[in-house]
Amino acid sequence: MKPILEVNALTKSFKTFKAVDNLSFTIQHGEVYGFLGQNGAGKSTTMRMLLGLIFPDSGTISINGYEFNNGRRHLLKSIGAIIERPDMYGYLSGWDNLKIFATLSDSKITKDRLYEVLEIVGLKGREKDKFKAYSQGMKQRLGIAIAMAHNPDLLILDEPTNGLDPQGIAEIRALIVSLSRDHGKTILVSSHLLHEVEQMATSMLIIHKGKKVSDGRLSDLMNPDETLIEVNIRPNNDLAQLLSGSVWGQLTVSQTEEQIVLKMNPKIVPELNRWLVDNRIDVLSISSRHSFEAYFLNITNDTTTANRAI
Amino acid sequence: MRKGIVIIVLLLQQLAVTARDIDGTKLFETLRTKVLSVRDYTAEVKMKINVNYMKIPPLAGTLYYKSPDKMRLERHGGLSILPKKNINLTLRNLIPNGNVMVIDVGNTTIGNRQVRILKVVPEDDNSGIVLTKIWIDEADMVAVRTETTTRNDGTIIMDLEYAKYIPYSLPDKMTIHLDLKGYKLPKGVTMDYDDLPETKVAKDAKEGKNQKGTIQINYLKYEINKGISDKVFEVDDREKRQTKQ
Amino acid sequence: MIQLLRIELYKIFKRPRTYISFGIVTAITFVIQLAMLSDGNSFVNFALQGVNEQFDIRGNILNGYLITYIILQSLLIHIPLLVALVAGDSLAGEANSGTLRLLLTKPISRLKLVMAKFISSFIYTVLLIMWLAGVALVLSLVLFGKGDMINLKSDAFVMILQDDIMWRYGAAFLFAVLAMTTIAALSILLSAFADNAIGPVISTMGVVVVLTIMSNLELPIFNVIKPYLFTTHIIGWKGFFDDPVPYAAITRSVVVLVLYTVGFLGTTVLYFNKKDIKS
Repeated sequence: MKPILEVNALTKSFKTFKAVDNLSFTIQHGEVYGFLGQNGAGKSTTMRMLLGLIFPDSGTISINGYEFNNGRRHLLKSIGAIIERPDMYGYLSGWDNLKIFATLSDSKITKDRLYEVLEIVGLKGREKDKFKAYSQGMKQRLGIAIAMAHNPDLLILDEPTNGLDPQGIAEIRALIVSLSRDHGKTILVSSHLLHEVEQMATSMLIIHKGKKVSDGRLSDLMNPDETLIEVNIRPNNDLAQLLSGSVWGQLTVSQTEEQIVLKMNPKIVPELNRWLVDNRIDVLSISSRHSFEAYFLNITNDTTTANRAI
Repeated sequence: MRKGIVIIVLLLQQLAVTARDIDGTKLFETLRTKVLSVRDYTAEVKMKINVNYMKIPPLAGTLYYKSPDKMRLERHGGLSILPKKNINLTLRNLIPNGNVMVIDVGNTTIGNRQVRILKVVPEDDNSGIVLTKIWIDEADMVAVRTETTTRNDGTIIMDLEYAKYIPYSLPDKMTIHLDLKGYKLPKGVTMDYDDLPETKVAKDAKEGKNQKGTIQINYLKYEINKGISDKVFEVDDREKRQTKQ
Repeated sequence: MIQLLRIELYKIFKRPRTYISFGIVTAITFVIQLAMLSDGNSFVNFALQGVNEQFDIRGNILNGYLITYIILQSLLIHIPLLVALVAGDSLAGEANSGTLRLLLTKPISRLKLVMAKFISSFIYTVLLIMWLAGVALVLSLVLFGKGDMINLKSDAFVMILQDDIMWRYGAAFLFAVLAMTTIAALSILLSAFADNAIGPVISTMGVVVVLTIMSNLELPIFNVIKPYLFTTHIIGWKGFFDDPVPYAAITRSVVVLVLYTVGFLGTTVLYFNKKDIKS
């Protein structure tokens, strides 16, 4: 089976600024494909090129094996998308908006289908309200309803949890997972937060300054043996000596009098903890962070995400 | 001797002229009496105004006249356009009233018609008319042309053609020649649709040149001396509003 | 395409702003009619000064036909604004509100979208002019009655008989539709360049005002370019109230306006087809 989306050497510059630089990736059917990068990394520009909103300087995009360009916009029938904010006509009802945008994708779409997608995104009963009266979460849901109404193979969702409260974020995340699992959709979802992508995606692509940094299956990228375990302790002069004499010393990435960082599978943290206690090292806290995450945070300078306590 | 002859000839000539003047005065009086015998009339008319800055289609209407100077063109809801009051469209108003001095200028022909020309000067200094020159067809006793110099409205020439209503001295066709001031409105006011260069009319107006114009009236049917109520000439309310200054 | 057009019309007529235009036309018409009811005679006397000195004009001068002409003349500068309000908003408004993004992720060609925007703006223009015809002509005739119409040109006094007027208004309104369609096409072009809604509306008005001034200034330098400005031709409807009707000039104006409309629209399509949607 041909990949649902194949991007090859995509490049786009705005004046002197290179927004996307020689980017290639492939999405297979049924994947939830995380698209990760800090704000301004080129995610939106890439997604806009996939949807024909922005024209690439060079490179190709293939949808279901057919090369996509401005003359073959009908290929967009197999894609549903929300790009950035789900902006719609505020003076129209949710239903009117849904109907207008859904019919543009498929003129034969039925009323039943529209009610069905409203049901899926949990907006049934609120469809007659004016769009401008919707909460941010409802707007996102309607956006997703529009994206999936014509039953496309591929959903492109650009930062779908942006601007939502924690509950909203959880709901949208669950919806995405369900769309993939229960409705068999292939989903390209972008985010600037690794842990968010991590919770939904099966594969992932990271870009930085328009260039691909890394991509692959989540299970490969997030190998548990590559987890960084950070142990904060009371200052201990013997620490260096104790470590070098033990098995843990080989796993140690860095150490100070107050902190040890080890790269290991989190499953053996209890053993580490026991060894520390046995050697009378007073543990203040133990937290873990995947090395990939550390790497990602490093390139994106994202300091907002704290280590996860264990 | 020779001098005496000259004097005699001159005297004789003078006598002859005087004799003819008496004839002229008589002729004028006869004509005037005939003209004045029409006290009122209603006529179906067709009027065509030929003034180069006025683009007016032929106007059909009913013309009411009541002596001495009441006149109205009724156009059944349409607009009536007549030259200003003292240039009324009747012979009556172009022939001086009261005592006049008549000078017989002689005979000429208009078309193939023999006509006599009289110059009539009113003795009343306050008359609007300074001088009227009348071309009279003596056979039918009608004026076929008048040239009236007015105190305020320039010189008006009127040509008259007669047929059925000769006994009343009422014309079937009348052409009035007028001298008019130029006409121009600023283009900014009117926002004309015109990508042509300035027209001759506008240029003449700017240069203060006067325009010539004619008004031609065809009288189709007269009803004479049947009596017309003064009310006919009263302006209605809407007109009153629109004509007050 | 029909689907797209239906959607565009639905959007236009579901929006309160659309009806403001109809309200404005009605309001301006009423204001002029009221002013003419109360003070129309001094207006007429002022306008007819030159003619009144020599001619005695009587009858219902200030009739519905003349009032309609005055209203049309006054609205000349307003209708383009009202057309621009809708046409100028067509692409830029959607860009500004973000809906253009969603719209263009749909499998519809940009050419069709521009055409749908243009045709819907055209339909709106037709309805606006029809509304104007209704309010101005019908109401003025009711309020002021019928009569022969006087049309004052800078170098001529034109009088049109009342039985000869209606077809002229029909033709004039048709011409106005064409002229305003040109404005709509200009607005859509400017709309394609902009990402905010107010820009194209203001720039359309700017272009119209500046070119109208150039069309009306009596300077030799402008006389050369005047025949090529569309603003010279958008008042071509007045030609139908001249005697004789200058059909050659009107035909020339129609050709110029059609060329401008096609030009504006073609440029819009060319540009918009290649435009990166970054809004």
